[in-house]
Amino acid sequence: MALLEILRYPDSRLRNRAKPVDTIDAETRQLVDDMFETMYKASGIGLAAIQVNSTKRLLVLDISEQRDDPLCLINPEILSKEGESKEEEGCLSVPGIYEPVKRATHILVKALDRDGNSIELELEGLPAVCVQHEIDHLDGKLFIDHLSRLKSTRIRKKLEKEARQADD
Amino acid sequence: MVDRGAKRRSKGRGTHLNSNPRAIAARMIHQVVGGRSLSDILRRDLEQAGPEDRPLIQELCYGVMRWYPRLDALLQLLLERPLKAREGDIRALILAGCYQLLYMRVADHAAVAETVEAAKALGKPWAVGLVNGLLRRLQREQDQLLERLADNPVAQSAHPAWLLEMIKTAWPEQWQDIIEASNQRPPMSLRVNLRRQDRDHYAAQLKRQGIAASAIPGLPTALILERPQDVHELPGFLDGSVSVQDAGAQIAAGLLDLQPGQRVLDACAAPGGKSGHILEAEPALALLVALDVDATRLERVKENLQRLKLSAQLCQGDASAPAGEWAQQPYDRILLDLPCSATGVIRRHPDIKLLRRKKDIPALAALQSQILDAIWSLLAPGGKLLYCTCSLLPDENEQQVAQFLQRQPDAQELPITASRGHKRSCGRQVLPGEQTMDGFYYALLEKRG
Repeated sequence: MALLEILRYPDSRLRNRAKPVDTIDAETRQLVDDMFETMYKASGIGLAAIQVNSTKRLLVLDISEQRDDPLCLINPEILSKEGESKEEEGCLSVPGIYEPVKRATHILVKALDRDGNSIELELEGLPAVCVQHEIDHLDGKLFIDHLSRLKSTRIRKKLEKEARQADD
Repeated sequence: MVDRGAKRRSKGRGTHLNSNPRAIAARMIHQVVGGRSLSDILRRDLEQAGPEDRPLIQELCYGVMRWYPRLDALLQLLLERPLKAREGDIRALILAGCYQLLYMRVADHAAVAETVEAAKALGKPWAVGLVNGLLRRLQREQDQLLERLADNPVAQSAHPAWLLEMIKTAWPEQWQDIIEASNQRPPMSLRVNLRRQDRDHYAAQLKRQGIAASAIPGLPTALILERPQDVHELPGFLDGSVSVQDAGAQIAAGLLDLQPGQRVLDACAAPGGKSGHILEAEPALALLVALDVDATRLERVKENLQRLKLSAQLCQGDASAPAGEWAQQPYDRILLDLPCSATGVIRRHPDIKLLRRKKDIPALAALQSQILDAIWSLLAPGGKLLYCTCSLLPDENEQQVAQFLQRQPDAQELPITASRGHKRSCGRQVLPGEQTMDGFYYALLEKRG
């Protein structure tokens, strides 16, 4: 297993769109394992392949407090959405920024698991929000795209400045 | 995605004990160190915690017990001077903190922060600096500290020295496997009620619910779940289609050679798993008496049998001194599942590592021989008695049976034909982890007619 580098906004590769996974081979499974390790190490609750510079359409999450309930979704697809709520979100690719985002409260998701079995999940609350957040990544979108122009510009400037300072 | 809410929620809990799972776990661990059984404590107190906190509390309690000898040795390296006796709860909390850092996938910083918070919830804010300092040092120097324990056999095996020695002596070839298996989390095993459906049919039903299970060759009732489940998620649990029972324990009923019309005694029946299995295996018995010395534990036999919609004659009584209604007529079959050191089921009851003492073993052996002698008088000529324990120690098993055969001329040993486990001078032993089973010892005795 290996830790992967998490791309940071405004890295343009976060705008790539993921391509569906054809076959779940050893390389894909390795990526999944590495993503779990990376996510746990970074104390995240979800991570999309795009964030570690892979264009495979897959994501991992674990929202349990004990960090013992890993879930991997390959080629996830939201079949239906219901309800609406606005909860604060944060992102491993946009460190230090927490802003409320409007999301569906209930979703029905179809995906493949790590072993290629087809699964359907009804999610609500935090897991539902997390899956929507990660699927956005797979479509090249970030949670700050849901914010007002003013807010997202301010955040971009702030992170660009931090990146420059880190480079100096 | 990152969830900052988790942290906010835990801060919102404030410092009230009942809402801090780590503080609750520390109190429980402290009680086990004081000599109480973990399962008793959990049965009594776990309900007071919020349902969302219970899995973490159980994980911490069982985890600390499982690794207690190692964590304890580690704590001695970390502490400059021992904690005062009245600070047992803080000591337990630090052990729980060490367990999180070494064995759980909690992010390190969260484990430290939450454990420090728990010191406040225990009403001991003075300990914040101590807990924080010790855990951060463990975080930094984990490799060096563990290295210093490398040649400490108690820390390495996570077993108390006396027990490690006894296991090594009894099992010179297998002791390392035994230790390793005893430190694992046990699987959840089911006994399918074959009166209702066959095992493969039930396994298919589980699979439809997304529960993966596998069978064990030669044990027609057993299914081993890939992951433990809440029993209420199991199809047909409430109406008795299935019970939770280790596969090793499911060997017993098959060895008894049950026939219609027999009178059968389950002499130390609680909590009733084997009684249920006997009745499922042969519903046309003339009588099954489920005897136990403890009236409250006998209640659990009743509940278990009610769920299975089976009935036995429940009797409270002392197997070492037969008297009363159940002791009037001889039995064709007796299952004698004796009180023992439970050294074969440490993976299920890791608190045994703390609670059992070396001097318990001769005391248990004496009790076992007393019960065996007394119960033998209730066996009909030509009848069979199955002697079993969940111990790994010869004093409670083959030596016990050998001595009995010497002093009881009308007793003879019958061979156990199953190939599973290890043949001993008398009887057979399954070691923990073998075919996923708990450690069990069985010997089959017959009374000459």
